[in-house]
Amino acid sequence: MKIRPFLYTLLFLVLVVTLSIAIGSVFIPPADLGRILVGWMKQEVLPEPLKTFAFILTDIRLPRTVLVLLTGAALGGSGAAYQGLFRNPLADPYLIGVASGAGLGAVLAMSVRWPYSFWGLMAVPAMAFLGALLTVFLVIALARVGRTVPTTNLILAGVAFGSFASALTAWLMLRSTGELHRAIAWLIGGASQAGWGPVLTVLPYLALGLGALILSGHSLNVLQFGDEQAQQMGLPVTRVRTLILLAASLTTAAAVAFSGIIGFIGLIVPHVMRLWFGVDYRRLLPLSIITGAGALLLADVFARSVMAPQELPVGIVTALVGAPFFLWVLRRARNQGYW
Amino acid sequence: MSGKIGFLLLITILLAACSPTGSATPAVGSMEPSASTAEGATPITLIDDLGRTVVLAAPAQRVVSLAPANTEILFAVGAGGQVVGRDETSDFPADALALPTIGGYSGFNLEAIVALHPDLVLAQGGGFNSPELVASLEELGLTVFSLPNPTSMEGMFTNLETVALLTGHEQEVETLLASLRTRVAAVDEKIMPLSYAPTVYYELDATEPSKPFTAGPGTFVDLLISRAGGLNIGSALEGQWAQISLEQLVVANPAMIILGDAAYGETSEKVSQRPGWEMLTAIQTGQVFPIDDNLVSRPGPRLVDGLEALARLLHPGVFK
Repeated sequence: MKIRPFLYTLLFLVLVVTLSIAIGSVFIPPADLGRILVGWMKQEVLPEPLKTFAFILTDIRLPRTVLVLLTGAALGGSGAAYQGLFRNPLADPYLIGVASGAGLGAVLAMSVRWPYSFWGLMAVPAMAFLGALLTVFLVIALARVGRTVPTTNLILAGVAFGSFASALTAWLMLRSTGELHRAIAWLIGGASQAGWGPVLTVLPYLALGLGALILSGHSLNVLQFGDEQAQQMGLPVTRVRTLILLAASLTTAAAVAFSGIIGFIGLIVPHVMRLWFGVDYRRLLPLSIITGAGALLLADVFARSVMAPQELPVGIVTALVGAPFFLWVLRRARNQGYW
Repeated sequence: MSGKIGFLLLITILLAACSPTGSATPAVGSMEPSASTAEGATPITLIDDLGRTVVLAAPAQRVVSLAPANTEILFAVGAGGQVVGRDETSDFPADALALPTIGGYSGFNLEAIVALHPDLVLAQGGGFNSPELVASLEELGLTVFSLPNPTSMEGMFTNLETVALLTGHEQEVETLLASLRTRVAAVDEKIMPLSYAPTVYYELDATEPSKPFTAGPGTFVDLLISRAGGLNIGSALEGQWAQISLEQLVVANPAMIILGDAAYGETSEKVSQRPGWEMLTAIQTGQVFPIDDNLVSRPGPRLVDGLEALARLLHPGVFK
């Protein structure tokens, strides 16, 4: 297993994390950052304004950084898995309707006035999560033919149900005008809640989903030969495909529950990894996870600093910046028939 | 493979056990309000729109406003000097424009809010500022109060009193309320004997001229139009942003068209040029008027200005 791709991507990740902690709408001079670190090491009480800066670092920037890293990792990993499963360069984590299902769940939750309590505040992410998972189960059930689940059927059922869910969501949004702005903000994407709560809540699901995906690298490699070939090579195709699909969807559902629908990361990051580091899924999945985390964090840093104190929605930044970048990478690798 | 999956499941269950399960305790944090408690001052305890009990040791001296209506209310009760931050859409009064902004349409900037060291963050309830935002601010150790969205003029007056209590202007607000109530009573008095209530179409949005949006029942616009002696044709429809088709509009044939979207460039000339609209009596008689939408949609003291503006449009003979 070559080490160099991992070194590069981890270096990128570390750089972006440093940027994310150093940059925000409140400018913290590097000298003050140094003094804060020294103060922490000496365990002394910091004077103002260092105290406020330190608070901003630990209670606002750090949890947000971690949440965005986890979301990006989830999207990168599940994007790579979807592309491997469907053997389709256009596949992204929202292919079979996860985004529409999550959006419908979230908007449904927003049309009810929940009590202001821990569980009340969890209503929107929980229903988004449920909506995403139920959509996947429904789409798999609809696409089933006998004992197999053909990919074409999956995509068609996913697109059809996705359109249906989107239409319902749009209708709900038109009706509940008070919550319209909140719904749009959620659908566009971006870190919503502050603090460590969201991080701790999604961590188990992401650990399970991403862990399962990393372990399925070999199976995905075998699947690239086609269903029949893979079956003949001894891989229980339907079972493995369904398991990988569920793991990827669980990961995506957890990612969108708190962060909304952020596009492009799941589509583009695996492609870039493939162009640079090859098609071996045992390597591609962990690399996509690491780079997905870094790429989304970079977009988030950009989103919150370019027009401070206003914040651009992250989904817009990923599209605006990601698309040209990907086109550039694609043109450079034009001569490689990598797919 | 199954051994590894089993190991993963174990780790997952352990991690899941770490997830927060109880109600979030307010973070003590390092953010303490800078206001010192006066000797013998009683703490201010109020319940906000989200059912939260908010306690202030002393009237707030550093307030961040998260809604334009809140900014207007703060300045109106005399607490303008105590406001340290506003949202981008707060544009009244002119003094507010000098204040630093902390976000608005595309989300609020938590870092900027924290850096201002507020001892009170004033949010607007009823969906304007989301509960997630309030929770995030609470998590950071800030005191947040969510003002309920009023459904009547009295409700708006109550909000004025609440904000005055929070900022220590109880006496000033009494003067303000007295003058506002007098003005409202003056309008009511003149409207009462009138027998004619013109039908009004209040336009909220007409990007699609064949299916424009008007103020539905239960909105403040609807309330103010009735109180100003008019009949809102939108009150027969459903929803707050009620969509009306051109056909229904032609049948209703309002006596007057009030352009709430005048700020977005709609003028009476443009309206008369819309295909199919020339049938309407209001256009033929030139009864198409713009209005500053902020006067009738922001739940603040300027609603009284809005009431008077509507009354002047609807019954010009009685109101000069």
